[in-house]
Amino acid sequence: MEGKVRELLDIPANDFDVVVRIAREEDIAVARQMAKQLAQELGFSLADVTKVATAVSELARNIYRYAQTGKIMIRKRLEENGGPTIEVVAVDHGPGIEDVDLVLTKGYTTYERSLGIGLSGIRRLMDSFEIASEVGTGTVVRVEKRRRRF
Amino acid sequence: MTHKERVVPTIRVGDCLLVPIQIDLDDKTVEQLQAQLLAEIQEQRVRAVILDVRMVEVIDSYISYTLSETAAMARLMGCRTVICGIRPPVALTLAQMGIELQGFLVARDLEHALTLV
Repeated sequence: MEGKVRELLDIPANDFDVVVRIAREEDIAVARQMAKQLAQELGFSLADVTKVATAVSELARNIYRYAQTGKIMIRKRLEENGGPTIEVVAVDHGPGIEDVDLVLTKGYTTYERSLGIGLSGIRRLMDSFEIASEVGTGTVVRVEKRRRRF
Repeated sequence: MTHKERVVPTIRVGDCLLVPIQIDLDDKTVEQLQAQLLAEIQEQRVRAVILDVRMVEVIDSYISYTLSETAAMARLMGCRTVICGIRPPVALTLAQMGIELQGFLVARDLEHALTLV
């Protein structure tokens, strides 16, 4: 786990199309807008654009709430077997999560104004979901969504 | 309440307060909206608030939480809340995340909402 967190924390930001630094509440909406735009550029359906934007909104808010600062990195990937894909990596050097499985439980929250649905909800909205966290080091969440063919 | 404190312009229709939300709801805005609505319920003595979210493209867990909380507060003040116009992709996303909007009556559109209040 430890190696994994460090490895993910060190993903170079240069490889991404967009990096949104999260430091203020307003940055949550900025991250959401950027995710929406990139998903639209990839030709995602309106439903999937909304899912991606909502997932990014949750990820950005988690950073702001629990780590205060961090970044949301988003990239479009085209040459995948699965077709055009949007990848989002949320990185913070905050306090980390002691029990990752517990926070993935729907309804669990340590924040008073919350449904405790963020992380479990993100997992349901996206095609892939990966989380690595280490107390004292930080947290990285990586999610992907593929474009659907209709 | 002065115009400046309003984040969303509201329209009085009979004894209902119509709230067409035509802006992107970020965390601060939704909190300001909550405060605005509670103040308007008290000042205008309305018996129902109709939130029209037709133009809202993203409703995430915190916005849902705050809107439900607002509805619960309104109820304590003797006022019911109807939400209408949830867009299909937003409905899909909320359902998939497992978010239940509590405390509201839900209507298809404004016309339907007016029949519920």
